[in-house]
Amino acid sequence: MDLQRMMELPGALAAFTYSDKGELQSHVLREGTELTADVLELLARSCVANLAIAAMEARGWESLTGQGGFQPLKGFSVVGLEWSVVVDGNCGVVVKNRDADYEATFKALQAA
Amino acid sequence: MHIVKQLMAIPGVIAAGEYAYRGDRFSYQGALTDEFARMASILCRANTLSVNMQAEIFDSFADSCGCKPVQGWIVRGHAITICAVGNYFAFIDNREELLNDVMTIMRAKVGDIHDDLLVNLYAKLGGDTREALY
Repeated sequence: MDLQRMMELPGALAAFTYSDKGELQSHVLREGTELTADVLELLARSCVANLAIAAMEARGWESLTGQGGFQPLKGFSVVGLEWSVVVDGNCGVVVKNRDADYEATFKALQAA
Repeated sequence: MHIVKQLMAIPGVIAAGEYAYRGDRFSYQGALTDEFARMASILCRANTLSVNMQAEIFDSFADSCGCKPVQGWIVRGHAITICAVGNYFAFIDNREELLNDVMTIMRAKVGDIHDDLLVNLYAKLGGDTREALY
């Protein structure tokens, strides 16, 4: 996983990878950001939880409604006040909302 | 123009709606049945509550880290994406540039979500929710 390449995404403040259990494995922080490794560690755990919940909801929605198009899940994002975290698989990127390109970020994560 | 109507005017938006923070009242337009829209509203409320709870925890790790209050969330499926901002949601096709357009419009039209969101979300529990939360 090339985190430096992820940092080239528009508005990227941090990029990180995590284990299936949500343990932070590697990270890169943009200089001057208020994010810390501690926040990323917690963020990674929430990413695993959110992806699992979203996958469960996608599975349930498809079987209850018959509407396809959700599975397999291609990612999840939480939009905060100043930044958003975009995740897929075992990698996440934190992007500044003002500059965020959600499509490009999801695409980059899928390609990673 | 109402946000939902405006979203529905964009090609590729399958359905859009508004759900109440305090229960399962909702309104919507697009390709959902009443029952599916009700389910979507409950799903959106549950996810919004969950990510707001997480933001509270992040905030305890780092003051003003920039995540709180949460403005919304996105679930990216392989062909359909759900976007939620505040108490509005949209089901959209995964077309080129549509997600960015929809998020820009939702953020601009809904405006910044403030701290009272969590109080509203918990209000269904009853009692003095402000006291219970803080």
